[in-house]
Amino acid sequence: MLEIENLNVRYETDQGEAVHAVDGVDLTLQPNETLGLVGESGCGKTTLAKSLIGLLGRNGEIVDGSIDFKGRDLTTLSKGELRKEIRWKEISMIPQNAMNGFDPVYTVGKQIVQVIRHHEEGVTKDEAWDRARELFEQLGLEEERVEDYPHQFSGGMAQRAMIALAISLNPTILLADEPTTALDVVIQDRILRRINELQNELNSSMILVTHDMSVVAETCDRIAVMYGGRIVECADTETILKNPKHPYTIGLRNAFPDITEESQELVSIPGAPPELVDPVDECRFAPRCPFAKTECWDGHPDATHFGDGHRAECFRAHEGEQLRAAGEDPETWTDMQDEKQASEVSHD
Amino acid sequence: MALLQAIVERARRFQGQKLVTKVYELYRTDNLAKIGMFLFGVYLLMAIFGPLLAPYDPLTINKDASDSVIRLSEPTANHWFGTTNYGRDIFSQWLIGARISLVVGSVAALFATTLGTVIGLTAAYYGGWVDDILMRFTDLVYGLPGLPFVIALVFILGSSLMNIILVIALIQWRITARVIRSEALSIKERPYIESAESIGASDARIIFLHILPNVLPLVILYMALTTAWSILMEASISFLGFAAPNQLSWGRMMYQVYNAGVIRDAWWWVLPPGLSIMLLVMSVFFIGRALEKVTNPDLRH
Amino acid sequence: MGLKEYVTRRVFHLIITYWAFVTTLFALFRLLPGDPTTLYLQSGMTPEERQRALERLGLDRPLYVQYFDYVTDLLTGDLGWSFRHKAEVYEVLATKFWNTIFLMGTALILAYIIGVLLGAILGWWRGTRREKTGLIGVLIARSSPEFWTGIVLLMVFVFWLNWFPSGRMRSIGMVVDGFWDKYLAWDFVYHMILPLTTAVLYYMTMPVLVMRSGMVNILTSDFIEIKKAEGLPEWTILYKHAARNSILPVVTIAAVTSGVAIGGSLVIETVFNWPGMGRAMVEAVSFNDYQLAMGAFFLMGSFVIMMNFVADLLYVYLDPRVTYGGEQ
Repeated sequence: MLEIENLNVRYETDQGEAVHAVDGVDLTLQPNETLGLVGESGCGKTTLAKSLIGLLGRNGEIVDGSIDFKGRDLTTLSKGELRKEIRWKEISMIPQNAMNGFDPVYTVGKQIVQVIRHHEEGVTKDEAWDRARELFEQLGLEEERVEDYPHQFSGGMAQRAMIALAISLNPTILLADEPTTALDVVIQDRILRRINELQNELNSSMILVTHDMSVVAETCDRIAVMYGGRIVECADTETILKNPKHPYTIGLRNAFPDITEESQELVSIPGAPPELVDPVDECRFAPRCPFAKTECWDGHPDATHFGDGHRAECFRAHEGEQLRAAGEDPETWTDMQDEKQASEVSHD
Repeated sequence: MALLQAIVERARRFQGQKLVTKVYELYRTDNLAKIGMFLFGVYLLMAIFGPLLAPYDPLTINKDASDSVIRLSEPTANHWFGTTNYGRDIFSQWLIGARISLVVGSVAALFATTLGTVIGLTAAYYGGWVDDILMRFTDLVYGLPGLPFVIALVFILGSSLMNIILVIALIQWRITARVIRSEALSIKERPYIESAESIGASDARIIFLHILPNVLPLVILYMALTTAWSILMEASISFLGFAAPNQLSWGRMMYQVYNAGVIRDAWWWVLPPGLSIMLLVMSVFFIGRALEKVTNPDLRH
Repeated sequence: MGLKEYVTRRVFHLIITYWAFVTTLFALFRLLPGDPTTLYLQSGMTPEERQRALERLGLDRPLYVQYFDYVTDLLTGDLGWSFRHKAEVYEVLATKFWNTIFLMGTALILAYIIGVLLGAILGWWRGTRREKTGLIGVLIARSSPEFWTGIVLLMVFVFWLNWFPSGRMRSIGMVVDGFWDKYLAWDFVYHMILPLTTAVLYYMTMPVLVMRSGMVNILTSDFIEIKKAEGLPEWTILYKHAARNSILPVVTIAAVTSGVAIGGSLVIETVFNWPGMGRAMVEAVSFNDYQLAMGAFFLMGSFVIMMNFVADLLYVYLDPRVTYGGEQ
């Protein structure tokens, strides 16, 4: 239903530099599917999501590639067409901080009514308000609260109100941008579950953008791991968690605690994500990868396809088993860090 | 003076290099700042050298060969800007005018900004009833319409150069006070202030050595803005006829040309002072705008 | 804090401010170096005349009595005696007060409306060349003293183009019939256009700049992005959402702006010979008519304090966060 091909998005910074936020991304989304888009901050996942609806700001631009949505290429649509036909109606968004997603000077109900009446002709005010109340009920909020202002809601309630707004037009795709980061863990769980339920009820798909592996583990059907503006690995959830092939995925997986394990040593991936300013002809992850070989610095790895839609962009993808085992040992990562520091010192 | 040195040293250490490079960078990139600095430089030179360069004494009544007064003459070779209805040379008057405008403007601004900063810092630092009283007082001054208040005071106290400077300062400090207080309040919350307090540093030390250097960029910005506002105020006071006897400012020139009833015809008399006030204030605003960019969040730590 | 509480607080604040203002006026008079009576009395009076005048004016009584008399006088509308006009100050200023209010009030309203709309657009256009040009225009208006703008307008539109009269409030020989007839006549409007334009050009600069900077701030908010994601048209987002949120600080500067407006009346009314309070005050000061001058100042201050109060109320109406508290 949604097919992204070789998408390239560039931002221009104040200094005039071009940041390749999305650097050649291929991705598909099936109907009724929840796709998790995972990565560190700055990897381009939010940009990728926003580029679907053209929300790139004044200095962002899609410079290459196509986004095929139900037979139309979204990159070719005019702003007007995007506004009328795609935004919110087909693809809507749940932002990170729900309270800030509402205009503080209008009631929440008013804002839901506003978007309904804007997209659907012939809906009277009363009908729209009724719809708003229904939505609140669906989300477990008291109907009367549609007449409250955003600041009168608590964090969790605001998030529910935001979800109500997001599903008000029955969109085909829901973009959830770190929807639970601002909430405490208990509420997080409840909200995530409710989103999942709703998604099933509405027959829509969802792209869940997050840096939190545990969130995607629970809710997503498939997971796409992003690094340096590219999708470095993509597969269904179980495969990603049990059978990751890309070193970055391996590292990410190990960085999150698993309650069922007896005692675990947490592993973190040392180093920082790349700046994405200059295009490079090497594997973006190579500088931080403990398994990097010479060929990793010589060119960009193509995707290696494994069965069932599982693909990974790594020269050593076939060695998955061994790499995984080594990856579970925190020393693999710290050794690399020590090595790096040593070599850096010697360079000075 | 040791305290002053310590303050400047602190300020320099905190902002020093970054500030200088930022200013230079701004100068290079911001066209308006360049124009502003250039214009201001010109006026500054005028203020300093004007009286020396003036071909005539601004008050002398000039007579021509046949000993009749040269009234309201258009610009000629002898009188580049023409003459007034009393036969005085306008070019000389114009040259002199810069000095008064700049002096009144900057001195009033200096007083006003200093007073405002002190009040703002004190209110912010001590909080409680001190803050309440100081802010109520500031509110009161805010409630007074500026120009009428100034005129009323000039009326009561008499019109001398010093009085006018003082009176302008007395109304202009209010803006700086509020802004600096607001800024100081947010600085006060920062961790290193708390640690200074817990070490037992004295109040004065904290205010002057820790908070002040951080508000200094904002103070400088407001000093620039206040200078602009003060120049405008002086111009209005003079235009209304309340300039001091020795205050030969551009505003006063406007007062004279207007009251002579000749603005319809004597364009040579009307344009120079009016345009100059506008350009001078504009240049200060341009510089202020550039300063504002410098004092923006990117410079704050 | 509920709505009622807020309003009561504001009314209380109004009374205190007013009292402080009146006291300040009283103190100003006492500030005088030298003989305070010189402002009240005309020169060339004999010592006995002076003594009698002093007694009549109550200047020989103890300070607190004078203060009490002063306040009660003000409250009953007794602003003193103008020796130049040989009439009660109140009478002299009554019509002039309205002349000023009609001119400056209209100017303020227009300035705010234009200022807000223009500021919103400039904020929306941030970084573009259009915005830069707009900003420079605003800066030029801000840098021109009101009298300069006025004189330039006079030179262009009156002396050169002859489109408008050069001053005064109505044509010589016009007869007016009653209060409203005076202010709603075309002749009045015709005379008002130039001073009004001068005033608006000067006053709107503050709302424009404040609105613009507020917009620039608001436009980076999350909810603006959501509104864009909702597919709402640009104008709706600009005005209904961004501008509506940025307008609050503009209301708070109403205090200073109305003060500037009243101050401007002194200059603008002088340039255009408009028979208002401002010009009256200037004349009074020039002729040492102390009571008239202070009376005018009192009226002006009262107007500004009133405007502040109205602005406070308007602020509450616009910001629901004040009326309806946080999460229950």
